[in-house]
Amino acid sequence: MAGMKTASGDYIDSSWELRVFVGEEDPEAESVTLRVTGESHIGGVLLKIVEEIKRKQDWSDHAIWWEQKKRWLLQTHWTLDKYGILADARLFFGPQHQPVILRLPNRRALRLRASFSQPLFQAVAAICRLLSIRHPEELSLLRAPEKKEKKKKEKEPEEEVYDLSKVVLAGGVAPALFRGMPAHFSDSEQTEACYNMLSRPQPPPDPLLLQRLPRSGSMLDKTQLHSRWLDSSRCLMQQGVKAGDMLWLRFKYYSFFDLDPKTDAVRLTQLYEQARWDLLLEEIDCTEEEMMVFAALQYHINKLSKSGEVGEPVGRDSGLDDLDAALSNLEVKLEGSAPTDVLDSLTTIPELKDHLRIFRPRKLTLKGYRQHWVVFKETTLSYYKSQDEAPGDPIQQLNLKGCEVVPDVNVSGQKFCIKLLVPSPEGMSEIYLRCQDEQQYAHWMAGCRLASKGRTMADSSYASEVQAILAFLSLQRVGSAGSGNHSQGTDASTEGLNPYGLVAPRFQRKLKAKQLTPRILEAHQNVAQLSLSEAQLRFIQAWQSLPDFGISYFLVRFKGSRKDEILGIANNRLIRFDLAAGDVVKTWRFSNMRQWNVNWDIRQVAIEFDEHINVAFSCMSASCRIVHEYIGGYIFLSTRERARGEELDEDLFLQLTGGHEAF
Amino acid sequence: MADLVADISEAEQRTIQAQKAASQNQRPSASLEESSNFSGAASLGYEAIVAATSIRYYEDDLPPPPANPMLDLPLPPPPPEPLSQEEEAAQAKADKIKLALEKLKEAKVKKLVVKVHMNDNSTKSLMVDERQLARDVLDNLFEKTHCDYHVDWCLYEIYPELQIERLFEDHENVVEVLSDWTRDTENKLLFLEKEEKYAVFKNPQNFYLDNKGKKEGKETNEKMNAKNKESLLEESFCGTSVIVPELEGALYLKEDGKKSWKRRYFLLRASGIYYVPKGKSKTSRDLACFIQFENVNVYYGIQCKMKYKAPTDYCFVLKHPQIQKESQYIKYLCCDDARTLNQWITGVRIAKYGKTLYDNYQRAVSRAGLASRWTNLGTVNPATPAQLSTGFKPGTSQPNGQIPQAAHSVSAVLAEVKRQVEPPKNNVPALGNQDLKAPRAYHLPKSSQPPPPPIRRSSDTSCSPVLPSKPKSTAGVFPAPPDDFLPPPPPPPLEEVDLPLPPPPPPPDFHEAPPDFVPPPPLATAGVMGSLLPPPPPPPTLAPESRQLPHTVARKLPVPPKRQENPGPPSGGESGEQDFMSDLMKALQKKRGNMS
Repeated sequence: MAGMKTASGDYIDSSWELRVFVGEEDPEAESVTLRVTGESHIGGVLLKIVEEIKRKQDWSDHAIWWEQKKRWLLQTHWTLDKYGILADARLFFGPQHQPVILRLPNRRALRLRASFSQPLFQAVAAICRLLSIRHPEELSLLRAPEKKEKKKKEKEPEEEVYDLSKVVLAGGVAPALFRGMPAHFSDSEQTEACYNMLSRPQPPPDPLLLQRLPRSGSMLDKTQLHSRWLDSSRCLMQQGVKAGDMLWLRFKYYSFFDLDPKTDAVRLTQLYEQARWDLLLEEIDCTEEEMMVFAALQYHINKLSKSGEVGEPVGRDSGLDDLDAALSNLEVKLEGSAPTDVLDSLTTIPELKDHLRIFRPRKLTLKGYRQHWVVFKETTLSYYKSQDEAPGDPIQQLNLKGCEVVPDVNVSGQKFCIKLLVPSPEGMSEIYLRCQDEQQYAHWMAGCRLASKGRTMADSSYASEVQAILAFLSLQRVGSAGSGNHSQGTDASTEGLNPYGLVAPRFQRKLKAKQLTPRILEAHQNVAQLSLSEAQLRFIQAWQSLPDFGISYFLVRFKGSRKDEILGIANNRLIRFDLAAGDVVKTWRFSNMRQWNVNWDIRQVAIEFDEHINVAFSCMSASCRIVHEYIGGYIFLSTRERARGEELDEDLFLQLTGGHEAF
Repeated sequence: MADLVADISEAEQRTIQAQKAASQNQRPSASLEESSNFSGAASLGYEAIVAATSIRYYEDDLPPPPANPMLDLPLPPPPPEPLSQEEEAAQAKADKIKLALEKLKEAKVKKLVVKVHMNDNSTKSLMVDERQLARDVLDNLFEKTHCDYHVDWCLYEIYPELQIERLFEDHENVVEVLSDWTRDTENKLLFLEKEEKYAVFKNPQNFYLDNKGKKEGKETNEKMNAKNKESLLEESFCGTSVIVPELEGALYLKEDGKKSWKRRYFLLRASGIYYVPKGKSKTSRDLACFIQFENVNVYYGIQCKMKYKAPTDYCFVLKHPQIQKESQYIKYLCCDDARTLNQWITGVRIAKYGKTLYDNYQRAVSRAGLASRWTNLGTVNPATPAQLSTGFKPGTSQPNGQIPQAAHSVSAVLAEVKRQVEPPKNNVPALGNQDLKAPRAYHLPKSSQPPPPPIRRSSDTSCSPVLPSKPKSTAGVFPAPPDDFLPPPPPPPLEEVDLPLPPPPPPPDFHEAPPDFVPPPPLATAGVMGSLLPPPPPPPTLAPESRQLPHTVARKLPVPPKRQENPGPPSGGESGEQDFMSDLMKALQKKRGNMS
């Protein structure tokens, strides 16, 4: 034991005094002084510290942090000599897990305890296990952007921070499911709410907020984000993160392995949220048509996730629920008036018959809409001069199978038209049906849509289709808020069901709400039958299909070139862009790559491809470590297919992405 | 849905098969007409199946006595009884349900008699019913024409009036497409080989890695090795979403209703074809949508230069499938060269059909692989028909016990094929545990089997001018994915003989597997087992059989044996194989090791 003394009080062994601060890394902190020798083991030192503190507490999570060397002394069997610790070392005795606030992909904040002593890769894996996100290797943490001091002090509304810092996971086993959620979420109402936040899509953002949020206009802006990634092979403490700091959790590598709606509720939802924000904030560009599909999917997902909460305390959803109730009432009434005997509906295919006004655009005709008696049976639409002539031959008969149905609606103008483009051997015949009101419109529209897919109104989806159309019309009524003379309209508007919340801001400028809504409605008809997870998956797939999907941008300077250029890293290739024009200059695929090296001194990445193609560049917008880690990470992810079902090979990951410590 | 369709068509095929088998018993010269009285035969179908099953049952049942002396040596196979009871019940139930469904469907099935033009200017008429996909029709045609089962065969529609044509995708419903034709149409349906059909899967680099316009890239592309091709395909088609090839460039667009062509810059995206409006950039936000694929098919334009004054003859056409006459709704686009044209058409197909296209290809490859195996085993096939046609007189074929063996190996192929066709749900899970115990015993017959075929085949090919009807019927008996081994639990040997597979291959590789198996594989096993072999060496035992049934032997062999080198994706990517990544990794590790 260290600290042997003579009677006079002189130490006769080679022991010396070691001062250890307890708790936070601050000079005022409480400290204890121990007598140790170079041979003392860390474990023994820890024991002594705890004895010295004389406080009853669970110290199991505590360890010693060596400030100057920025490292944890975690090997309890190592001696002080082995670590090279001398009396002047500044040591802190503190917890290895500390709370941080995570900004999730869905932009919600969540407080939880993260490991400050393990490599970030492991820390993220632990976080993901807590959140029940599989494949944690695809995610990582970023530093939150520094808040710019705003000139005008905007009152940021106090945001809700979910708290999971109390939840402790049993190690090892995969969390069991309990009441449809991993067991550790079902402990209390707070954690349950937290799980709902994680696994259910968030409502669309306020369009005004959307306009205010910073967007990256150019490729250069897009490089900013990637300078903030933390290093996977070092721990949070080493990277200067403090307890209580805000960090962003994001999917870093755009290669999503084995996405399974059944087991991946949280992962799917968070991925959807990240995709959605990418689109809304114009991190990734898409065409107008694509944006309409994205908007329709968001609308649909939002509707489904809301309706899933029926059992929950209603609270702020009451507006929409009332609306739904009113609609279903209406529906019941309508059903009542139609001949819907139960037996009948089983055996006969329902048909629609009514007076509609029809318009057929032709060259050199100025005739407008004309009243006709229209019969819609199975997938065929026939119209007659009048009801009396109905048994005879119709003026025209159109089979709507395969036709294109385009809504032409203006709620405030009370215009409810259906434009049909009906294919025939001779080409397309165009015909407009004009309905009197929303109800009539919704029923005929739903019939036309089903018929275009070759289904009849006997199809089980007919009623829900009618519902969807009515709901969408009410949305439009809100969208054109000017004519808010309908009672439900104002309620719903507070719901943020503004079509502008579904599209990127540039479409807000380009299209008026009343132009936008019918287009979203049109796109919606193709997705209206999807379930929540299907719709999310479809959204993710459509996002993945965008040509610019999954490219992380870096500002680089190639060896031998004098101008800055952009390097894009995707899951299978590197792309060199011209900074000014944004054109692709050259693409290199990882599959042709032989090796890559990083010269840490001059911060240059050198890559060798097949056929002796060599590329070298230094990274201007971020540390070259981040570029290196991106490349290594993608290579690592591409090995997963073969290692399916195996444990995550962390060593391999760190080997591929870390490495600079070795030098 | 696709599954359902597949099920139905499978079931249907089985019925046809059964019918044929049954009718062969009664009147050996049964021919095509059967399929046409098929509709009326709905109820008959059931009996037919029963008949067929009993036939199989017989033939399956026969083996044990003669086989035993030989098979028993290593390990007596564990009796399957305990498992098969519940299984039998489940199977019977499933079958009944299937039948009931089938009958329901049968009631209102629409059928067409279709004239198909062959590439030798002859035509064949065949009955196509509403539920048949192009794949099924192709299979029918394969049977009828004895052509090789090459993946490039396709159904092809030609519109002489519009001068456009296109190939059917294997998953397309034929009747649906044909019913869009007008009554007095000049349109034709062809059966021919088109390299373009699956070009993208044979040389994905030409579509995915094409350096726009740079000629030097072309040669290196051709060189791409099989491993890289496979990983490229995997990357493009097996992810969460299919990657559409990046394709953009200036094309000529025929203006609506005019004969003038305008050059515009077009881009292909998963969501449609876009163009760059005048004075705009080609960033996503500026693009204008030209067309989306939901309601259109893509066609080759033929001789548009003449007809529409197109700048080149490399045109493609987009139109709604129902449009049959000239119309402003038909879009004509014109490319500079054939290569670009093919890239665009393939690109549109990928964007429109997605992964289905790849699935089709894999199915076609496995079909082709199967066909080649048929050729190999063709020698053995006749055993079954022979037995059938001779009725069930026990003993006719018994003396040396060879025929039952033949039946084994045939069914082994069937079983194997079946696995390939539906790899994930590895058919009868209950039998799984037997696989572990039994295979040794059953390698024997199989390993003794392969050697003879070549001998006989050579003799066969010499006398191959064959009676046409017979081979047809042989093919008819085992045409398609052998759906099922039918209610009475097949005796275990049937299921197990097929195990000379390489060590359990992971499911994804299954599809590629066939080419591997083409040469009789079990030589190695034979070597291992050699010591266990009973005294009578295989060739002599087989010889009597061929002597015994010389004419039947001569008759089967409908398919030319050249199938062996089929162009399926080389199976180099077997799971165990090291690919580039691991090479890279190794290199890296080595390097690291050196450094530190």
